[in-house]
Amino acid sequence: MAFNTGSSRFNLRASRYRVPRDRNIQKSFNNCKLTFICGFVTILVLRGTIGLGNLYGSSTASDDQRVMEDIDRILQEIRINSEPEPEDSFAFMYQGNSTTNSLNYTEAIKAMHFTMGPKISDWDHQRQDWLSQNPDFPSLVSGKPRVLLLTGSPPNLCENPLGDHYLLKYMKNKIDYCRLHGVEIIHNMAHVDKDLSGYWAKLPFIRRLMLSHPEVEWIWWMDSDAIFTDMAFELPFDKYKSHNLIIHGYPDLLFEQHSWIALNTGIFLMRNCQWSLDLLDAWAPMGPKGIIRDLAGKLLTENLKGRPAFEADDQSALIYLLISQQDKWMSNVYVENSYYLHGFWAGLVDKYEEMMAKHHPGLGDERWPFVTHFVGCKPCGLYGDYPVQKCLNNMERAFNFADNQILRLYGFAHVGLLNPKIKRVRDQTADPLQVKEKLDMAARIIV
Amino acid sequence: MLERCIGERRIRQIQRATRNLKLTFLCLLLTLLVLRGTIGAGKYGTPQQDFIELRHRFISHPHRALAEEHQPEPKPKQSDKDDEPPLRSLNNPYSLGPKISDWDEQRINWVRRHPERPNFLTKTKPRVLLVTGSSPKPCENPVGDHYLLKSIKNKIDYCRVHNIEIFYNMALLDAEMAGFWAKLPLIRALLLAHPEVEFLWWMDSDAMFTDMAFELPWERYAPYNLVMHGWDEMVYKDKNWIGLNTGSFLLRNCQWSLDLLDVWAPMGPKGPVRTEAGKILTKTLKDRPVFEADDQSAMVYLLVTQKDKWADKVYLESAYYLHGYWGILVDRYEEMIENYHPGFGDHRWPLVTHFVGCKPCGKFGDYPVERCLKQMDRAFNFGDNQILQMYGFTHKSLGSRRVKRVRNETSNPLDVKDELGLLHPDFKAVQNRAS
Repeated sequence: MAFNTGSSRFNLRASRYRVPRDRNIQKSFNNCKLTFICGFVTILVLRGTIGLGNLYGSSTASDDQRVMEDIDRILQEIRINSEPEPEDSFAFMYQGNSTTNSLNYTEAIKAMHFTMGPKISDWDHQRQDWLSQNPDFPSLVSGKPRVLLLTGSPPNLCENPLGDHYLLKYMKNKIDYCRLHGVEIIHNMAHVDKDLSGYWAKLPFIRRLMLSHPEVEWIWWMDSDAIFTDMAFELPFDKYKSHNLIIHGYPDLLFEQHSWIALNTGIFLMRNCQWSLDLLDAWAPMGPKGIIRDLAGKLLTENLKGRPAFEADDQSALIYLLISQQDKWMSNVYVENSYYLHGFWAGLVDKYEEMMAKHHPGLGDERWPFVTHFVGCKPCGLYGDYPVQKCLNNMERAFNFADNQILRLYGFAHVGLLNPKIKRVRDQTADPLQVKEKLDMAARIIV
Repeated sequence: MLERCIGERRIRQIQRATRNLKLTFLCLLLTLLVLRGTIGAGKYGTPQQDFIELRHRFISHPHRALAEEHQPEPKPKQSDKDDEPPLRSLNNPYSLGPKISDWDEQRINWVRRHPERPNFLTKTKPRVLLVTGSSPKPCENPVGDHYLLKSIKNKIDYCRVHNIEIFYNMALLDAEMAGFWAKLPLIRALLLAHPEVEFLWWMDSDAMFTDMAFELPWERYAPYNLVMHGWDEMVYKDKNWIGLNTGSFLLRNCQWSLDLLDVWAPMGPKGPVRTEAGKILTKTLKDRPVFEADDQSAMVYLLVTQKDKWADKVYLESAYYLHGYWGILVDRYEEMIENYHPGFGDHRWPLVTHFVGCKPCGKFGDYPVERCLKQMDRAFNFGDNQILQMYGFTHKSLGSRRVKRVRNETSNPLDVKDELGLLHPDFKAVQNRAS
C-alpha cells in the first residue's frame, strides 16, 4: 500500500494532535465540573452536620470579645430600663421659677400635709396586747431584747462593678456578726415611698417594720458602707433601758456648736414604741423629693455649722429636729460615744495592724472599733469624696480585719489584710470540741 | 517519554483508571460522611460529638463550676505560683483531716453541756445552718456581683422566715480542693466547729428560693443523714450523672457524715488525681461528658459502687424541688401565679430555682447571657413578692425592679394579717427557748 502524500499523513498527524487537544480541554472541563459538584456537596453535608461557623474554628479571643460585647449591651439595657427620677409630687407649689419662688420651708410643709401613713396614737398599747396574745413571739429572747438589723441598697446595678462586690462582702460581714449575736437581718432593695427617696428611704421602711413586727424590740439601721470590725462586742442594752434612740455623736457638737455632723444616722437603734413613731413623723417632713427637700436644705444650711449647700439629708434634719425641740425628745435619746457605734474610717483603717498587735476584740472603742463606717467613699457610684483606690483598698482591709475574727473559729486567718488568701493558724485535731471550749472570741488575734 | 515506553492506549487506560478511582474515593467519602452525620457510627462518634469534644478541649469549661475567677492583679503572679501546692500524685491519698471516730459521742456531750444552744429548736425542727458562698475576688463579669448580692438577699429572706442560720463563705480552705470541691473541706470544718447544728444545708450561689412559705418536712428525714434531690432509678439503675444534684442538699451533723465526706473527697484534689478520676466517672456514669471529676458525679459513683454501705441513710427527694432546674420552671411563673399559691414547693410552686450552667460571675456559661440574667431577675422577683406582700407591696411585674403598694396603711396594723402568714408563722415560733 502506497503511503499517501505527506500532506495527508501530516493531516492525519495534525488531526491526531487537534483531536487530543479538544478532548483534553473537554476532559479538564469535565474534571472541573466534577470537582465543583463534589466540593459543593461536601460543604453542604459538613454544614448540615457540624455547622459552618465552626469550620472557621472561632478563637477564644473573638469569643471573649463577643461575650464582652453582649454583656455591655445588656448592661446598657438594664441601665436604660432602670427607674426614671420620681416626679416631684409637690410641683404644684412652684410659683414662677425658683428664683422668684416666694415659699419658704415652713409654708411649704404646711401646704402639703406629708405623712407616712395614718396617725397611730396607741402603739404601745396595741403592741403590749399583741405580745401577751402571742407568747410564741416574745420580745425578749434568751434574756436579750429581740433586735432586727435593717440595711439596704438600690435595686439597680452599681455604676462601678466593684461597688456591688463590696456590697456583697459587707453583707457577708453583717451576716457573720448577726449570726454570732442572734440578730435578724433584713436587706431592703425596695423603694416603698416615691417621695422619700435616697437616704430618706429608710424612714418609711423602719416605720413599716415596727408596725409589722411587734415582737421586735429594737430596729437597728446600718448603712451598706458600714461594717462590723469587732465581732465580740455586745451592745450594752442595760444602759438603754430608758432610752428609745441610740445614736453615735458628741453632745457638745450637738448643743453648743450645732454642727451638721454632731450625730451620725448611718448606724442607730430605735425602739419599737409610740415615741419612735412620733419621732419618725416629726423627722420625715423634710424628706419629700423636690421643692420640699430643696427648701429644707436651705434652712438646714443656714442653721447648722459647717453644712454645705445641698438638699436636706436625714442626718442634718434629725440634728435640727433634736436641737430645735430639745425638751420634747432629748430625754429619750442616748448620744453614745463610749464605743464606736459609728467609726469614721479615715482615722481607723491605718491602725488595724497596731490594734492586732496590742489589743483584742470585745472593746468596741478606739482600741478595737465596733463599726468602721466608710462615709464619703460611695463605692457604688463613680464619684466619692475620697480617692477611689484609697477607699477600695481600705474597705478590703477592714473586711479582712473583721473576717479574721470569724475565721479564727475554724483555725484560719488572712495572709495579709489586703489579701483574700487564707492560711491555717491552728492545726486540725481529732478532738475539735476541746478546742472550741477554750475558744474565746475576745482573745488576741494571732496571725 | 512514558508514552514511548508503554504506549498511548495504555496511557489512556491508566488515566481513565485513575480518574475512576478518584471518583470512587470521592463518592465513598461523601457516603461515609452523610451516613455518619445521620445514623452515627457507634464508637467512632458523630460530628456532633466531635464538635463537643473539640469545644471541651479548646474552651474547657466544665459544667457547674463554682466561680473561681481572677482579676488582673497588680502583684506579680510569681507570689501566687509560690503558694500553689504541688499537684498531688496518684499514689498519695488525700485526707480532709485527722480521722475522728467518736464524733456522735463528742457531740452529745457538748450539747448536754450547752443547753442554751440546743440542736433541736422544737420537738421536730432541727437547728439548720444554710451554707453558701462565692469567690473573695470580684466577678469577671461586671454584673455577676450584683446577682450574687440579690441571691444572698433571697436566702437571707427565706432563712429569716424559717429560723435558719446562714454561713456565707468566701474563703478557700484548701487550695487543692478548688472549684466545686471547695465545699467539702468547708462542710467538714463547719460540722466540727458547730456541734449545735443538726443539719447543714449546702446551697449553690446560683440557686434561689422561690417558695418562701414551704417548710421542709423535717420529720420525713428523721431516719436519714443525707437528703438530695434526685431519683433512685436514675442513680442506682441508670447510673446517670445527673440522677441527683449536689447544688442543694442536707447533711446531718454526725459520724456517718464525716465518714461519707472522707470517702467522697479523694477524687477532688486538683491535677492528675482529678483528671484520672474524671475519666473513670465518664466511663462508669451514663451520659457524662469528658471533663475532670466533679463532686456530683463522684457522689453518684460513690452511691452506685458502695450502695450497701451508704444508701440506707440517703434519701433522694423528688416530691418537691429541693433543687429545681431553671430551664423548665422560669417560663411558667405567670401560670403558677394564676393557678397556684406558695407552699407547695413542687412543680406547682418550686421551692428552689437553680440556675445551673448560667455562671453569672464568670464570662462563659452554657446558656446565652441575656436569657440567664433576665430569668434570674424574674426568679428573684417571684420570690421577693412573697416577702414584700408581708409589708403590703409587690413588684410591678416579674421583670421590674420597681414596687407598688397592694395594701394600704391603717391605724390598726396588727389587725391586718399578711396573706401567706409569713410574718409570724408556726415554724418560726419560739417554743424551747429560755427567756
